[in-house]
Amino acid sequence: MSDAKHDDHGGHDHGDDHGHGHGSQSRFIQHHYDDAQHQFDSGKFGIWLFLAQEVLFFSALFVAYVLYRVHHPEIYSYAHKWLDVKYGATNTAVLIFSSLTAAWAVRAAQLGQRRLLILCLATTIVCACAFLCIKYVEYHHKWKEQALFGHLFDPCVTPGGEELITKKNHCDGTKSSVDYDMAADKPTSGCFEISKLDLDPNRVGIQADCQVTEVQISKDSKGKDVEGASRPITDRCDDELVDLLEKIEGGGHAGDVPTHETAGAESADEKAHHQKFPCWRPSYQPAVCQDLTDSAKRAQGQGSKPTAGILVEYGDDEVHRDVKIKATCKAPATVAPVADPMADKANVLAEGVKAVDPAREISTHEEFELESLGPPPEHTSMFLTIYFAMTGLHGIHVFVGIIVFIWLLRRAIRGDFTPDYFGPVDFSALYWHIVDLIWIFLFPLLYLIH
Amino acid sequence: MSASAEHHDDPGHGIAHVATIKTLLATGTTLLFLTLLTVLATRVDFGANINLAVAMVIAVTKATLVVLFFMHLRYDRLFHTVVFVSALCAASLFVGFTLMDTSQYQHTNIWDPSVPPPAPVGWHPTG
Repeated sequence: MSDAKHDDHGGHDHGDDHGHGHGSQSRFIQHHYDDAQHQFDSGKFGIWLFLAQEVLFFSALFVAYVLYRVHHPEIYSYAHKWLDVKYGATNTAVLIFSSLTAAWAVRAAQLGQRRLLILCLATTIVCACAFLCIKYVEYHHKWKEQALFGHLFDPCVTPGGEELITKKNHCDGTKSSVDYDMAADKPTSGCFEISKLDLDPNRVGIQADCQVTEVQISKDSKGKDVEGASRPITDRCDDELVDLLEKIEGGGHAGDVPTHETAGAESADEKAHHQKFPCWRPSYQPAVCQDLTDSAKRAQGQGSKPTAGILVEYGDDEVHRDVKIKATCKAPATVAPVADPMADKANVLAEGVKAVDPAREISTHEEFELESLGPPPEHTSMFLTIYFAMTGLHGIHVFVGIIVFIWLLRRAIRGDFTPDYFGPVDFSALYWHIVDLIWIFLFPLLYLIH
Repeated sequence: MSASAEHHDDPGHGIAHVATIKTLLATGTTLLFLTLLTVLATRVDFGANINLAVAMVIAVTKATLVVLFFMHLRYDRLFHTVVFVSALCAASLFVGFTLMDTSQYQHTNIWDPSVPPPAPVGWHPTG
């Protein structure tokens, strides 16, 4: 502290603090400043420079956000549904309230209201801790769902709640995981034959064509052994998605929709239907599992054709069913090179004319609803990488804020702050407001994507 | 210069401006109201771009309120405003220039291997 330590007069007598009246001012006024005003102004200028730096610091992440959003809007509209608006909005309110108490703390310090100052500082700390707790709950959900950044991105479910085949079988209570040996970078069980499967998530399209040859449930839901039982397969594509697509198309051709019960060899109509309504973009779903409910049907050559996005339930942690699936896989058929569209002059795709002509326009909302049922589009992990980077850096700032405010609280209780010495409270509050300010932008940008 | 503890709402406090309780509460309430508004606005489908614009207008309004009243910038030295606003200008330059630059090279990205990238506009390979 200052060499010029004087008795603290509680700041009640600071009328001459513009002069060099060292005898009556706070003992925290350093001797190299002219007076309390000089010290305060210097500090305030410093903190504003720091805040300007903070804006630039965060702007780098905002550049990453904007850049990716401009080039890959589909990722944002898809992946933001993993975030829960309720948590985000609650955290916004908590942070705004803490900003209010921080601003009030400054006022209390300026007016020498020590008890109110202590109350305001304590409330700010409590709010900041509440913010981090809510953040923890959110992060924990992401961790559980494996909706994480970079290479850890291996979601158990789509944002719409549909189960996904994952690389790591760490999804509690989820039925569709594949055991994946990370060291060997190969799946070890599931409806795949290991050697044939290519699990490169960056490759578009169906990457393996698996025919399930046998299903065996060795234990039923009560844990008893059963033999030879087979169980129905979850076929999201037919049940929900095609229904919804049918509704949107407006036609009442429910009979035309191939379900896993009815689909035999695809008729030309059905084929056309499938082309019109691909179940979902097969960009991540690494393999295709055959319907295996009716082996008799398949024996007669009527088994349904593999369709992108069919998931196979083969293990259910919750009800302790132990399901084993045997399958053979073959490498996917090589895609025929795309012919020159101009070669077929009769069927030239005219620009501006839709290939599919639906009965009515699909609303943006419905479009996203459909998308969120399907597997993630390519590079979806980038959204979560950006989400974790931005909220993580912000969270670190909140954490630092808590430490600073605890320090302030300690000093406030000690009675350090007086009407001519409240700089630390003011400067810390300014920092806290910047943290709030950044969250004000993060909340709509991450949680409220339409 | 002779502000005393009795004059609670005296904006002419010796060292810095003192925010009135009314200002603080009004700002806080408005911020909470705007948060509610921005959440409700996403439930209405205005189209992706307008929804984004609405969310951003509300966010900028909230940020302005925080800066002007909670951060006292309205009553503070003009120079602090200059410092802060120049940081914001620099940040928007970063975003703007990066976007201009990457859009410039978009056509060189191959999104679909089966589709050859379109020829760049205004540039033709020689030979």
